[in-house]
Amino acid sequence: MSVGHIARTFESEGIPTVSFGVRAFKSRMLPMSIPRLVLTPELMGKTLGRPHDVFTQMRYLRAGLDLLENAFEGNTWIEMGDIE
Amino acid sequence: MTNNLAKETFEEFKNSFSYGSRTDMNFKFLESLSIKEGGEFFRELLWKIGDASNDDNLGQVVEHVYNWQVKAYTGKPSWEYDESPFSPLGKPLSESSIGLLTTSGHYVEGEDPEPFGVKGMDQGTAQARISDFIKSEPVLSMIPTDSARENLLVRHGGYDIRAAVQDFNTVLPMYRLVELEQDGFIGSVLGNTYSFVGACSQTHLRNDVAPRWAEMLKAQGVDGMILIPV
Repeated sequence: MSVGHIARTFESEGIPTVSFGVRAFKSRMLPMSIPRLVLTPELMGKTLGRPHDVFTQMRYLRAGLDLLENAFEGNTWIEMGDIE
Repeated sequence: MTNNLAKETFEEFKNSFSYGSRTDMNFKFLESLSIKEGGEFFRELLWKIGDASNDDNLGQVVEHVYNWQVKAYTGKPSWEYDESPFSPLGKPLSESSIGLLTTSGHYVEGEDPEPFGVKGMDQGTAQARISDFIKSEPVLSMIPTDSARENLLVRHGGYDIRAAVQDFNTVLPMYRLVELEQDGFIGSVLGNTYSFVGACSQTHLRNDVAPRWAEMLKAQGVDGMILIPV
């Protein structure tokens, strides 16, 4: 839960953050009231997807950066779906 | 030759994947399953392997593991907070300086953080000493964004690092951020990214370390941070 603590501290210090996490930890991350959070449908240890899957890495990152720019309050989170 | 394995119970077997005789970070979640659930996991796994032998669809096997990983880790949270601190991004993303910090345990070759004073600690030792890591204050490694792929190393006793070894962008998307800067999607990337072993003392991290890191990043003029756990 390190990222949750860092995110909360950074935001309190005036640094906007966007955190990522795998869906397996959803029930542990959401109660931390992380300011901005993107949950990915990936296995632990591959938060942004499989090695060399540039498309998926970019898809998640762009979604996270969009959240960083456009969220207007804390505890805002999104859950990425699988590609149809 | 002893006959100890013949006396092993199913519970001992499934638990052995979590820092036991069969340590496998991808399957340490088995310890969180009941005996009945563990049995169901293996029964379905074998069934899906049978299916995969007919249709070559290994995706269903991976999906099975993923679904059970989610089930196993779903539970009561260790940390709960009612309020969520929030700082808005003060400028457009395309004009912002973005930083990256991950809990992946990456470091640059020649700059080993040497946990507990051990130089060149291997992954197996890191796994064996996981209980030491989670009591210790984290050490931050600085990774320049122009680091060559072959100069990045990773060690972390809490997850299977093989994907991170093959492509650090799975948990440290440094090159992707440089590309987003080149595309104009973000203004710039901080010259250095950061990584540490997330399995560490959460109290130290929250009370002492994270505030210091925030000051360091603010001094570099960061506008926003991407935080990635494993």
